Amino acid sequence: MDAQRLKDSFARVAEYGDAVPLFFYSDLFLRHPEARDLFPVSMAAQRDRLVSALARIVSDVDNVDYLSVFLQSLGRDHRKFGTVAEHYVAVGTSLLATLAHFSGDDWTPEVAADWTAAYDLIAQVMIQAAKDDEHRPAFWEATVISHEMRAHDVAVFRVSTEQPLPYLPGQSVSMEFAGRPRVWRLYSVANAPRGDGTLDFHVRLIDGGALSMALTRKLAVGSRLKLGPPVGALTFDAASGRDVLLVAGSTGLAPLKAILEQIGGLPSPPQAHLFFGARTTEGLYDLPALEKMSARSPWLTVVPAVSGEPGYLGECGQLPDVVARSHAWQRRDIYVSGPTSLVAAAIASFASLGVPADEVHVEDFCWSEP
Amino acid sequence: MTVSYRRHGPLSPEAVRSTTFAMSRFGRRGCDEEDVRVFCDQVGSELAVLLSEKNSLREEVNRLRKRMNGADGKGGLLTYRPEDGHVQAVQILSRAQQTADRYVADAQQYSHDLAKDARRHRDQVLAEAHSNAKRVLEEVHQRASQAATDALDGPDLPTVSKRQELQAELAYLRTYSDVYRTHLRAYLDALLRNVDEWEKAEKSSVALIRTERPPRPSELDL
Repeated sequence: MDAQRLKDSFARVAEYGDAVPLFFYSDLFLRHPEARDLFPVSMAAQRDRLVSALARIVSDVDNVDYLSVFLQSLGRDHRKFGTVAEHYVAVGTSLLATLAHFSGDDWTPEVAADWTAAYDLIAQVMIQAAKDDEHRPAFWEATVISHEMRAHDVAVFRVSTEQPLPYLPGQSVSMEFAGRPRVWRLYSVANAPRGDGTLDFHVRLIDGGALSMALTRKLAVGSRLKLGPPVGALTFDAASGRDVLLVAGSTGLAPLKAILEQIGGLPSPPQAHLFFGARTTEGLYDLPALEKMSARSPWLTVVPAVSGEPGYLGECGQLPDVVARSHAWQRRDIYVSGPTSLVAAAIASFASLGVPADEVHVEDFCWSEP
Repeated sequence: MTVSYRRHGPLSPEAVRSTTFAMSRFGRRGCDEEDVRVFCDQVGSELAVLLSEKNSLREEVNRLRKRMNGADGKGGLLTYRPEDGHVQAVQILSRAQQTADRYVADAQQYSHDLAKDARRHRDQVLAEAHSNAKRVLEEVHQRASQAATDALDGPDLPTVSKRQELQAELAYLRTYSDVYRTHLRAYLDALLRNVDEWEKAEKSSVALIRTERPPRPSELDL
């Protein structure tokens, strides 16, 4: 397999943009009409994910170790969709047909051989990872045991799973609600693992968001959810031994609260500063619980901040500015979670303060969205 | 969720529509969020149209190229290969999918706009209620403090020297009222005494008249 030839071939095909994944899925559904039911009605986001994953695979095709980690998690993640080995054959056929179609005269036997070899490798790694994962359920059936609206657009709910779902504090699971079939979204677990195995989730209603709307408005005690395997790398680095700074915007609090609970369970917890920001005081939906936690935890300081409510008596302003003012960011491991705009602004802010990039932990959901 | 700062692959219409930007830092100038979103929406739609157009033009070029090749090689006859049918079917299905995508995107956009409007309205109502409540509170507070000031500065609450002055005046008035009561009582006593004397004098004079002569009716009637 010639890695450079493969990259050049992909670069030429990718020039056709959205037409490529469009052709691929149409080809797949024509050959296997039953596969259509595995996907949502609108395929726009799905096509982007496919192209994004393909681009990532091709760019790392000569870095097999690095690529394997990505492919393994992708393979494990696909178990919840009911993906089996035969599906990989079908996808391979359609992928090669798509590449051949868009390559035109460039589709030489050598290029075809490169792609066949590459796809066989990809499929093999994914299938193997899925197989190695078979001791775990493909997905977890969960039942809602409590659900409350903390603000007009924020719901906090607790589920119990039929089988235990092991995870690390700070990780997320993808979620499908029976009322919105085939729409999976990632949500962080908002608590450290408990004895009774229950999981908390914080969901903010996104204007027009397909799943967030259902999870805030339609979910009730007794509702059934499917949870995917835990993913994500925003986990607490206990080995560093340094004090921590946690920056949470809105429901981005969830993974950081799980990490705080984990820190609280340590024999000698490091000092922790949590900045919890929202636009209005109503958006500080979990502040009473956090204040209760800090009252009984001498190692924890909680600083609420509000950006859009003149006259608020506490910290006012955008969260990264409030954090920068506080000087609490020096010589600490930093964890940031919240809306993409906040995370990007925080990364830029810490960079301008001279904080080394490897001390700022953020979640990269880019790869793991199903 | 589209993580705008870490992308892989080419930019698609969907990626343009769903891209989010970081807030500019405090004190720096930034663009209006809504303007940016509307513009990204337009760019996304335009891009979708252009890509679709580009695609069909490319198909057209391929078709014409094949026709030319066919004309050169096979005596002007357009020959279809068996896979051409499949490609056509793929293109028909693709167009149907794009239509479905557009409908879903429109519905989502509508729902998004509606929710956003509702949220804005709610914020407005809340802000209004907030400022009303604040105004009422301020008014009440102002009135209360005005009343307190009045009470402090007003004549109803005398200072120590004023009170002493008033007490002195009260004592003076009390003394004088005693004096006047005594005077009045003495005056009334004198008056009563006079009335008694007058009565006594009248009785004795009447008795004297009776002894002299009986009154005539004409005298009595007068």
